[in-house]
Amino acid sequence: MDAPAGRAGEAGDRGQTGEVALRISHLSKAFPGTRALDDVSFDVRRGEFHALIGGNGSGKSTLIKILAGVYHGEAGGTIAVEGREIPADRTSPEAARAAGLHFVHQNPAVFPTLSVAENLAIGHGFERTAIGGVRWAAVRRRTVALLERFDIQARPDTLVRDLRPAERAMVAIARALQDQEGEQRGLLVLDEPTASLPRAEVTRLLGGLTRYAASGQTILFVSHRLDEVVETADRVTVLRDGRLAGTVEGEDINESRLIELIVGRPLEHVFPEMPPIDSEQVVLELRHVSGGPLVDVNLQLTKGEVLGIAGLLGSGRSELLKMVFGAFKVRGGEILLDGAPTHFRHIGDGMRAGIAYVPEDRGGEAAFFDMSVSENMTAAIVSRYWKGGRLNQRRADADVRSAIGQFLVQATSERQELGTLSGGNQQKVVLARWLLRRPKVLLLDEPTQGVDVNARAEIYNLVRRAVAEGCSVLVVTSDFEELSHVSDRVIVLNQGRVTAELRPPDISPTTLTELAYTSREVAS
Amino acid sequence: MTVTNEAVTSSAPTGRGSTSDSGRQRVLLFIERYALVVLFILTFIFFSLWSKTSSTFPTAANIRNVLGNQAVIGILSLAIIIPLVCGEFDFSVGSVSGLSQVLCAGFMSRLGAPLPVAILFAVAIGAVIGLSNGNTVARIGVNSLIVTLGVATAMAGVVEWYTKGQTIVLHISKHLTDLGSGNWFGIPRTLYFLAVAAALVYYLLEHTPYGRYLHSIGSNRDAARLVGLRVERLVLIAFVLSGVLAGFAGVMLVARNGTASPQLGTVNDTLQALAAAFLGATAIKPGRFNVLGTMVAIFFLAFTVTGLSLAGVANWINDLFNGAALFVAVLISTIVGRKRAGVG
Repeated sequence: MDAPAGRAGEAGDRGQTGEVALRISHLSKAFPGTRALDDVSFDVRRGEFHALIGGNGSGKSTLIKILAGVYHGEAGGTIAVEGREIPADRTSPEAARAAGLHFVHQNPAVFPTLSVAENLAIGHGFERTAIGGVRWAAVRRRTVALLERFDIQARPDTLVRDLRPAERAMVAIARALQDQEGEQRGLLVLDEPTASLPRAEVTRLLGGLTRYAASGQTILFVSHRLDEVVETADRVTVLRDGRLAGTVEGEDINESRLIELIVGRPLEHVFPEMPPIDSEQVVLELRHVSGGPLVDVNLQLTKGEVLGIAGLLGSGRSELLKMVFGAFKVRGGEILLDGAPTHFRHIGDGMRAGIAYVPEDRGGEAAFFDMSVSENMTAAIVSRYWKGGRLNQRRADADVRSAIGQFLVQATSERQELGTLSGGNQQKVVLARWLLRRPKVLLLDEPTQGVDVNARAEIYNLVRRAVAEGCSVLVVTSDFEELSHVSDRVIVLNQGRVTAELRPPDISPTTLTELAYTSREVAS
Repeated sequence: MTVTNEAVTSSAPTGRGSTSDSGRQRVLLFIERYALVVLFILTFIFFSLWSKTSSTFPTAANIRNVLGNQAVIGILSLAIIIPLVCGEFDFSVGSVSGLSQVLCAGFMSRLGAPLPVAILFAVAIGAVIGLSNGNTVARIGVNSLIVTLGVATAMAGVVEWYTKGQTIVLHISKHLTDLGSGNWFGIPRTLYFLAVAAALVYYLLEHTPYGRYLHSIGSNRDAARLVGLRVERLVLIAFVLSGVLAGFAGVMLVARNGTASPQLGTVNDTLQALAAAFLGATAIKPGRFNVLGTMVAIFFLAFTVTGLSLAGVANWINDLFNGAALFVAVLISTIVGRKRAGVG
């Protein structure tokens, strides 16, 4: 949090050197049926921390893929790195590497079971003896030097899987940059490196990146998270529907201006007003619950309430939701639903009792990518369509067709494979899967992770609709801005304990951040 | 609500492809689905017209023979796709059929057991092995490939011990051998059994919640658990069903051959069944293990191999062809699948 503040002053003079590190001119790319990129031109200056943002389908990943040589652009466009021009229709991974473009992707490709030294050596090559064996002492020495140069808190022998996520990403970055001639030449392209990182790790990683940028490294940074872009970027280029929506710098980099560029109009309310709670009826109650990292947690959720849970990774926020759902062992205390203690033996029991759970990790725990939208949406209600000894697929498809409209899913048909939808639409399908069951209690774990601004608004509108119909919601999100907008009440979890409870008007992102990070107990 | 509506209209244009585009996709999908069927028909016509085989290939006797011979391998391939759908290998099906074969024949021959008892016992042995496989894989969590490969090897040993390497020939019920050799309405009787088994497995996998659950588990096990599926139990049942079918395939082996040979029902049959299952997953419902595709694959391979041997091609060609067909089919379907993903 403090690193970016210290950089605000330097940003100005670095921008003014005016040397162009990367110039993209008239870049276009069509796929059958869509124009992914349409005559996009912009510059990245030497030594600049340049952010590239845009909604899903805006063309930013296509642009990165053309830079990396995975796709070819259309003839007429050019990419110039440090003055050397590459025609857009002749990009290749080799050309990108020769030009000094270094890529680090989302879920950086590190090898978890290998050591830091081995991870760095793959990519550079191992130091060898005369007969071809590895000279481990030399590998170690080079690793130590690299770790120092990139300021990574790790030892050469540590296995990468034992590192914190931010350090893992930095190892990937160090690997990409280690062979750069003349330390600061070339361009580091980061494709959503923070998308799957928890907040605390994002802060760490951005701190590291800001230090490289301050030392003169040019960085092109693709991100979904506007707050981090506002915090760190010197300039921001926004794409919308494949076209350049604008490039902003300095004072103009603020969240509302960026949202306006992303969606093409001022978006007054990304987060809808949740309907007021009109009942005192307690739906869910936790009494002295412990288990996993949780210690003696007490909370009550009333009908139609949206209760936010603020906490860092490891605070026990996800375990709390899983316990209520019956997917995590409760060691002590009781969970009461409508006043009666629950004894869920397995997840089906929790579902029958009216609990629904949208997990944090969509790819790992919610999506059936190679199955159809229809099969995904009805995954929790399959038995409803089992009539007369047959699965009535036609009726399921008809229901899903109307749900696709109702839940604002953009899909060509209910038979489309889920994996071909954008992240936001996949999330809407997962949400629909649960809302179709009309749950009493909806548990949302990071419901808008990796989702663009538009889809985020739509997802919360869907939640709002469910709440209006009497559903109660427990929501966990690392985005405290989001949490403070959607919650009627927020509890703060800190190292497994509830340390604070906030109601409006006390709920603000700053207060939540402070409370989530401090370990002292706060009286509410 | 106004926010919602605006959001939809502003992002709608990027959502849909043009009609010509989806038309092309439909053609691609059609080709992918029926390529194997068309190839099957073309090979059939080729061997019927080719001067070297035109006198022997398209005869009722040859067709009947090929059809009748495929019942066992067909049932084994059905046994293997049930666990494959939920992402597990059952490498033991061939060897289980071998064991159930010698036990079925041995019960009649050595103990004088009546036919129904022998059949019941043979199938039950398959179920028990399936239960044990399923338990080890689903509840304890051992890799299914390793478990079932081990079981397959062990079963081969048991068969050798039980038969002392000798074929069991005496006192095998004539009712059973009649089933294996005779025809009903000009079609080999064993084929009816295969048809019934295929229909049952097709129904199970495509038209029951259980089938859908297996597909979900195969697609994403953790997600399946988190929509309330009792994954362990479902996977266990898949192995039991696989074992039952493999046991039944052993009974069919006795029926077809009239004897029980320790040389039959081995890992080789597992490999053939596996090849058919994977080849079948490139047809009819590309990307999914499916019954119809697997049946097409079985008969495509069988008729082609017969055609080649009728033409006087050396025997080693069979293995080479079976392997190459699988290789090429999976290669093509991967390339077509990639193209499709690239378009979308």
